[in-house]
Amino acid sequence: MTKRARSLLQIPQGTEGFYLEEAYRHRKLTAQIEHTMYNWGYLPVQTPVFDFFDVYEPFFTGSDERRIYRLIDREGDLLLLRSDITLFLARQMGMVLTDEDLPTRVCYFDTILRHQDAEDISKNEFFQAGAELIGLPGVDGDLEIILLMQEVLSQLPLPAHRCHIGSRAIADAALSSLPAAEQTRARRLIAMRDRAGLKRSLRAGSFEVRRADYLCDLFGLIGERNDLERVRAAGAKQSFIDEPTERELERLSLIFWQLGELGLAEGTRVDLSEIGAQPYYTGTVFQVYMDGQDSSVASGGRYDKLLDAFGFSAPSVGFSTMLRRIENALTEPSIYNPSREPETVSGQTFVDRYRSATAIRASGRSAIL
Amino acid sequence: MISNALTIALPKGRLLDRFQEHLAACGIRIAFEDRKLIAEDDSNTLRAFLVKNTDLPVYVHHGIAGLGVCGRDVLYESGYDFFRLLKFTFGSTRMCLATKREQADRAVPGHLTVATKYTRFARDYFQTRGIPVEIIRLNGSVELAPLLGLAPYIVDLVETGSTLKANNLTVVEELEKIGVYLIANPAYYKFNYRRVDTLVSLLGQRDVEIEDTGATVGKID
Repeated sequence: MTKRARSLLQIPQGTEGFYLEEAYRHRKLTAQIEHTMYNWGYLPVQTPVFDFFDVYEPFFTGSDERRIYRLIDREGDLLLLRSDITLFLARQMGMVLTDEDLPTRVCYFDTILRHQDAEDISKNEFFQAGAELIGLPGVDGDLEIILLMQEVLSQLPLPAHRCHIGSRAIADAALSSLPAAEQTRARRLIAMRDRAGLKRSLRAGSFEVRRADYLCDLFGLIGERNDLERVRAAGAKQSFIDEPTERELERLSLIFWQLGELGLAEGTRVDLSEIGAQPYYTGTVFQVYMDGQDSSVASGGRYDKLLDAFGFSAPSVGFSTMLRRIENALTEPSIYNPSREPETVSGQTFVDRYRSATAIRASGRSAIL
Repeated sequence: MISNALTIALPKGRLLDRFQEHLAACGIRIAFEDRKLIAEDDSNTLRAFLVKNTDLPVYVHHGIAGLGVCGRDVLYESGYDFFRLLKFTFGSTRMCLATKREQADRAVPGHLTVATKYTRFARDYFQTRGIPVEIIRLNGSVELAPLLGLAPYIVDLVETGSTLKANNLTVVEELEKIGVYLIANPAYYKFNYRRVDTLVSLLGQRDVEIEDTGATVGKID
């Protein structure tokens, strides 16, 4: 085999192309999601594929920074390939929005690029579909985004899935007495559901033993609204919850109460170990877990301070879905196949064939020359 | 018929027998037929895959198996994030720094050269303590390295110390106790948390102390 032939067979780790029927299904699925988002009044936005790195640098933590792709342009500026649409979108919206524009509803269908480990079978290029609601604070905004995401997913033939809803704000409020580094450590222990480590961390941070135990129970909670209420009542009774934490618990409870009123609580779970994987989250956060999937298929939350960093102050909440993960999980992918084979027209000359094909296409069918 | 059993990856080797005994004591019997690598217990609680120890985190990370039984040494080297649901009382061992017996009394130098299979652990352990370290990666028979002059020190798992002793080596320092854990793919746990929690209750105590030496590089800020 020649060197050229060998090089043509090699594919950079993590890249992915998909073709023909598979690409058709991808487009059709995207169109269906787009349609839902347009019905909810969300308009599309397109973010640039790269931007200056230093604009986003404050938002990258150690592990995230290792996963982003950087390049240097001809002027020597360090650029960043789009690794997080929410960040790129915040930068764009921060430049163009005014107070009169609020609330603004936007949606996107785009790719992000993040490096995965060499042995990782997932891809570096992720197709995301998502939506953001800018300028609507509070529970109403949270609910709108959660319900839009639920509607998008419910319209697809997918295996059983559950939306786990938690709150970054509850964790931030409950841990606020700890030094910043200890807060970071405790948040990680919460997210990893490391009860013993969290207990030790809180006790080391001067939390009284019984209160530390209670907070471990609180952040270990997965269940329904009545489970949240039970733990909340126990905390209030023994004065383990301060006023800011109670306020955030009330807010989360209100979300679940309204989901219940709408008859939509069944697909959701309270999960206080959900605190948001990105540092910019400030409030309600959620992830969707699906039977048979090795990671969440959709996620999102509230980030009320993010646009401030890009020159415009407005509360925001949004979600994104991992489209390729969803496509691979479809229980009936064939419904997104091309509806029928195109007809091959016959005729003596190209002109004859072209005219026949035009007539067939005018009747709404597909024809190839 | 689609199995509703929880999926679990089990390591070939020393831990398998111990875990099967532990399971049996809890009323779950899993037996792998001759040369078969997949088995299910009679009560349809667990569907088990027999995998190479070092491959186990890969299977769990990708959700092929939702759960796994794995030593902290292997978890650390994988770098993946898992929920650690239970620390078993069996299978514990020690990660140690060892050298030739005649060199053991000398002070450990400020700059270390160590041969090891556990490169990630060794690098992180010494670097977080401000000790410059040169790592030579080996895949087995690490005890040979000091004897043949490849590296003066090794970092390796020590159970009884008999292999070290047979090769005229000795432990200089115990770096960390290495426990055996029931681990879970986080997304698998979240979706199946009720059934997994039931299994965890069955298998043993719930509280697991997780040593904080950075085995799972943080996704959370």
